[in-house]
Amino acid sequence: MKLITHNMLTSKCLKGVLQGYPLAINATDVKITEVDFNPEFVSRIIPKLDWNVLWGAADSLGHSEGLPKTVEPKYEDQEFLKKAHHVLLEVEIEEGTLTCPESGRQFPISKGIPNMLLTEAEVQ
Amino acid sequence: MEVRKADRKQKKFAARLKCSKGIVCTSIPTKFIVLCNVGQATGLSKEAIHLLLGEVPHNDTLPKYIAEKGESHSYLIFSSIQSCEKFYNMNNGKWKPDVKGPPVYMSYVENVPNSEIVCQYKDPQGLHIFSNFISNDEESLFLQLFDSEDDVNSSNLKNRYVKHYGYEFRYGSNDVDLTSPLEEKIPKECDNLWARLRDCGINLERIPDQMTVNKYLPGQGIPTHVDKHSPFGDTILSLSLGSDVVMDWKHHSGQHVPMLVPARSMLVMTGEARYDWQHGIQPRSWDPVLEQRLVTAENGEEKYVKVISNDTRSRDVRISLTFRWTRSGPCECNYKTLCDSVDKSTDNIEDSLASNLEELHVHQVYEKIAGHFSTTRHKPWPKVVEFMASVPPGAVVLDLGCGNGKNILKRNDILQIGGERSWGLLSECKSHVQRVPAADCVRLDLLQAGLRDECADAVICIAVIHHFSSKVRRIESISTISRLLRPEGKALITVWAKDQTKSNYLCKSKQTDDSVKNDEIHATVGGLSLPVHENRTQFQHNDLLVPWKLRNIKENKIAGQPESTLLRYYHVFEENELVNLCNEIPNLRVEKSFYEEGNWCVICKKI
Repeated sequence: MKLITHNMLTSKCLKGVLQGYPLAINATDVKITEVDFNPEFVSRIIPKLDWNVLWGAADSLGHSEGLPKTVEPKYEDQEFLKKAHHVLLEVEIEEGTLTCPESGRQFPISKGIPNMLLTEAEVQ
Repeated sequence: MEVRKADRKQKKFAARLKCSKGIVCTSIPTKFIVLCNVGQATGLSKEAIHLLLGEVPHNDTLPKYIAEKGESHSYLIFSSIQSCEKFYNMNNGKWKPDVKGPPVYMSYVENVPNSEIVCQYKDPQGLHIFSNFISNDEESLFLQLFDSEDDVNSSNLKNRYVKHYGYEFRYGSNDVDLTSPLEEKIPKECDNLWARLRDCGINLERIPDQMTVNKYLPGQGIPTHVDKHSPFGDTILSLSLGSDVVMDWKHHSGQHVPMLVPARSMLVMTGEARYDWQHGIQPRSWDPVLEQRLVTAENGEEKYVKVISNDTRSRDVRISLTFRWTRSGPCECNYKTLCDSVDKSTDNIEDSLASNLEELHVHQVYEKIAGHFSTTRHKPWPKVVEFMASVPPGAVVLDLGCGNGKNILKRNDILQIGGERSWGLLSECKSHVQRVPAADCVRLDLLQAGLRDECADAVICIAVIHHFSSKVRRIESISTISRLLRPEGKALITVWAKDQTKSNYLCKSKQTDDSVKNDEIHATVGGLSLPVHENRTQFQHNDLLVPWKLRNIKENKIAGQPESTLLRYYHVFEENELVNLCNEIPNLRVEKSFYEEGNWCVICKKI
């Protein structure tokens, strides 16, 4: 699971959970895969993300070094875009769990795929 | 001379096993021996082996015997290399299980096949099996009474002999006609069974009034079924005579439990076992041996588990006496899934029934066919490519129900996230998205998609919504799509159309005129009777089961029936039906609706 994907995931479908965001990451296996850098894509996608959550996710995996905590609405800085690209697309969680911040419900990540399935009893 | 001949023969067998079965023989002694020319298919029985071992001096426990079905070789597993070597030296090329036949040639092997299955489910609740319920003498008496093949009254079913007492069991409707009782009542010889049941803690308010005698020859069985709820009471009894048998129990949640039903035992079905489980007997002449084995769990706790071992036991003629209590009126049980008294006249079926149907006939089927399915789905449809290609750079695109990910394009300027429920398909998808720069996948259910509101610029949902079995759920699924779209975001939704006349789905040679459809097959799933569609013909119904034929499926030793054909549930759409559904969602506006190769498609926009 890439961190860009984590940025979109929520557990708010759980009964009694209001936001369910962001999900806490607990990774036991993280891999780095090289992905072709497309600066235009990165600069276009950043405004659609929750930057705080991305930073927190990167930080919890020890990959926040050099990544600014806040982001200004100008993205010409190639170094910054490269760093963002790395964190968004190249850092992948292979094994671990995601935890709902409100209920503590855990969602396993296995073989790089987060399992967000819920049982009927858990749903609103 | 003799030794050299045996040596030569054995080498020949070893070479044959290697090239036809991939079994590697070794001359270095191990704990395992392959018997090259005898096995289940040659009729070698375990008894013959035990007889032979009885003559072998050894201090070890008996070796385990593995005879795979249909194979003409088999294996022995010894507890030590020494005892294995001793056995080998004494018997290789000498032992003749059949005095007139050839001797058995053996070889050491490094390992043996292990097809043992640990049963992970608990026995059905409400199922009681009382062993040694009757004595051997009583069994003989019952066999004399009921094993009468020449009886003119005995009806001969397709797969077994049956005879009824009290009331005739009607196989078409699976009930009895209470207005025409049979002259022959349940024989008085059965009377002492009732008091004995009370002693076992089974309280009977009155004695049963209907009995069916079933005679099963080895090789015969009975398809998985539930005794129809409304015509019979809450307890059903079955007394077994003549032979042990393994009965398969299946719950609609996917649980599967094989149970040994010994000869002379009384089986009592109540509660869940009576109403919520199906049971059946596989048509085969042997059964796997079920073992209770003590295992240590991860937390260090010791517990018994049921293991379906490699070992098999042959069946004898078995006669079962099934006792039922007739009743009238709708069933009053609390188990709706298999109940015939649940109203299922409209397509507005209850949510629990719908989700059950989808679990059994969509989710479980896709898991089973994932690999095969994926090989048949490699090209995205042109209209999907067109839509995906039109998405502007920098967009977030969700492919909900992405399957193997074939619709995820190799674009490096958009983010593509596939969501899918089937683990098997997701694994295929994962390896696909790894070759796309900004793509990923998530396991989710469309009705509870764990994705943020308004996170997507575009959503595609291709050939998914036709798998939801009630209108409410179909609307919910489109509502999810609307929730995930940003304002101005667009979705492409496609579903299978009932009208296939303008597609190449239809196979010309299979077209029959409309009058010839009397022999339509129905399958009852979760208490719902649905027509089974004949592939490559025009659809006759909106809600139906479409067969998927698996390739190269081996005989499944635990399944109730050969499962080479799986049934997928579909709701096929009428013209405008999809548009009307989309129009029920506030904030969603249909921009375009079209028919493409047998599918109804809409492009809609979030406003």
